[in-house]
Amino acid sequence: MENVINIQPITRIEGHAKVAIHLDDAGNVADARLHVQSFRGFEKFCVGRPAEEMPRIVCHICGICPWAHHLASSKAGDACFGVTPPPAAIKLRRLMQMLAYVGDKLLNFYFLAAPDFVIGPDADYSVRNVMGIIGAAPDIAKKVVHLRHLTAQIIEKFAGRAIHPTFSMPGGVSKPMTETERQDILGHVDELLEFSKFTIQFAKENVFPKYMDAIKTIGVIEVGYLGTVTDDGALDFYDGKLRLMKPDGSYDDFAYDQYLDYLGEHVEPWSYQKFPYAKSWGDGFSLDLDNPSGIYRSNTLSRINVCDKMATPQAQAELEEFREAFGRPAHLTLLYHYARLIELVQCAEQMVELVNDPEITDPNVRTKIEPRAGRGVGCVEAPRGTLIHDYETDENGLITKANLIVGTTHNNAAMNLSVKQTAQELIKDGIYDEGILNKVEMSIRAYDP
Amino acid sequence: MIKDLFEKPVLVLGCGNILFGDDGFGPAVINHLKENYSLPDSVLAMDLGTSIRDILFDLALSEKKPQKIIIVDAVDYPNRNPGEVFEITVEGIPKKKTSDFSLHQFPTVNILQELRDHTGIVVKIIVAQTNEIPDSVQPGLSKIMEEAIVVACEQILSLIKANDTM
Repeated sequence: MENVINIQPITRIEGHAKVAIHLDDAGNVADARLHVQSFRGFEKFCVGRPAEEMPRIVCHICGICPWAHHLASSKAGDACFGVTPPPAAIKLRRLMQMLAYVGDKLLNFYFLAAPDFVIGPDADYSVRNVMGIIGAAPDIAKKVVHLRHLTAQIIEKFAGRAIHPTFSMPGGVSKPMTETERQDILGHVDELLEFSKFTIQFAKENVFPKYMDAIKTIGVIEVGYLGTVTDDGALDFYDGKLRLMKPDGSYDDFAYDQYLDYLGEHVEPWSYQKFPYAKSWGDGFSLDLDNPSGIYRSNTLSRINVCDKMATPQAQAELEEFREAFGRPAHLTLLYHYARLIELVQCAEQMVELVNDPEITDPNVRTKIEPRAGRGVGCVEAPRGTLIHDYETDENGLITKANLIVGTTHNNAAMNLSVKQTAQELIKDGIYDEGILNKVEMSIRAYDP
Repeated sequence: MIKDLFEKPVLVLGCGNILFGDDGFGPAVINHLKENYSLPDSVLAMDLGTSIRDILFDLALSEKKPQKIIIVDAVDYPNRNPGEVFEITVEGIPKKKTSDFSLHQFPTVNILQELRDHTGIVVKIIVAQTNEIPDSVQPGLSKIMEEAIVVACEQILSLIKANDTM
């Protein structure tokens, strides 16, 4: 009779999920599946609503990365109405995005990922938790809280709301930045950049080296990658073109609005959540661990793999060191954590660049929009992957059709493969313990679903 | 306001997704509290929507902590009547709130337990029994949940005044 190990809930991932590991008669892993609740009905809900209202509504889709939805929706609205926001508006959007992402990446590394590494993957959960971090590194924990709070305060003070933002809209943003406000922010960003650089050094020296065995064995799969790059191949979180890379490192670039030519959506009867796959590869879709087809990943490691370079100097130096050690593309799943910290450095550096740009205080921050029939695809790199908002409007600017692909969904197939790989690697003859099951969870947390 | 998060002794945090029917009860209670009551200066009432989890992480690790956190949410319990407002303990959070409701983003039991057990913060949870939470996006509370808002506000005011310990 089949035996099923259920891991439920998955602690410390942002969103709830459960894992079912199916054992055969010999107690070995026959299959393993990750079940994630999907967000259903939003596309239908959008129909009939003014496109300019969408950026305020979509923030409620995800409480963890509302700024990504806010900006992707604004960009879709820009495209629907055929407008380009003024340069200062785009810089302000980017600045808010970078501030939000710095706070998010600090949260992820120190509070979600670090307990596994700092306390140890085999430690009992009673100590392998967020409070364990206080005991292990109290000064760092205090600093993280201080800086996360600082990013939220800066956003709230300037943009009005940190949690349910209303700042951005089709055509631009709601207010310009005064020189006084710029000076105020300028006084804080260096602290954020310095701590970002400290964090990656800390991780490289004290965290990752101790767990190279785990990095080389947990969740390892070889699939493709998706991410956004500029025309010269630099990683960009706000704008650019999409790059879809095969497992061997070859790739295609395409504009956001062509995504349907490259990406398809597969459905499995056991999951509400769809499985995006690389339709353009022509191999179909398969979750066969030994011979997967059409599967690509999104999020940090994916972006680090698809880009030719980072957009800022310190982050570029970190990327070169990373590639020297792990190559391109790097397939080891737990390297998502390392890649996240390289991205943290770029976000912090870009944040400093933006605040130091005198053009950011230009009072012209909105391009007038006129409702019209059109289609607009807005895409940003959300912390958890490539986020696509695709709207169609009628002549009154009301939404007639909407399609959203959120970052986590891109990784649905890959997460299932990683869970199965880890379970098969570690569970033999029906023997497992809490440490093994936590390592299965670690293979999911890397993706930060 | 975020700036007051670590300054106020008492936090009242509404959580839930306003896009999913009765799941928006917590945010609705916060709005009603702020619009219809004069809260003491020591109290910060915030609609955190689905963002409550990372706020709790910060509270768990912050040097400056509130004395009391009152969480307001919606639940689907057996043997409760729709619109019924009651207090639950951390242990009383239904299992499916911790695993199946990914949209809800209710703060994980883990974090709440860590807050209660390791920080000395008094954690209170006020909930209302939902009439219906739709499977897909459908904003707006049911009538019976709208009527429960005032009841929840009164209970929250009592909890704010109470000189309680863990």
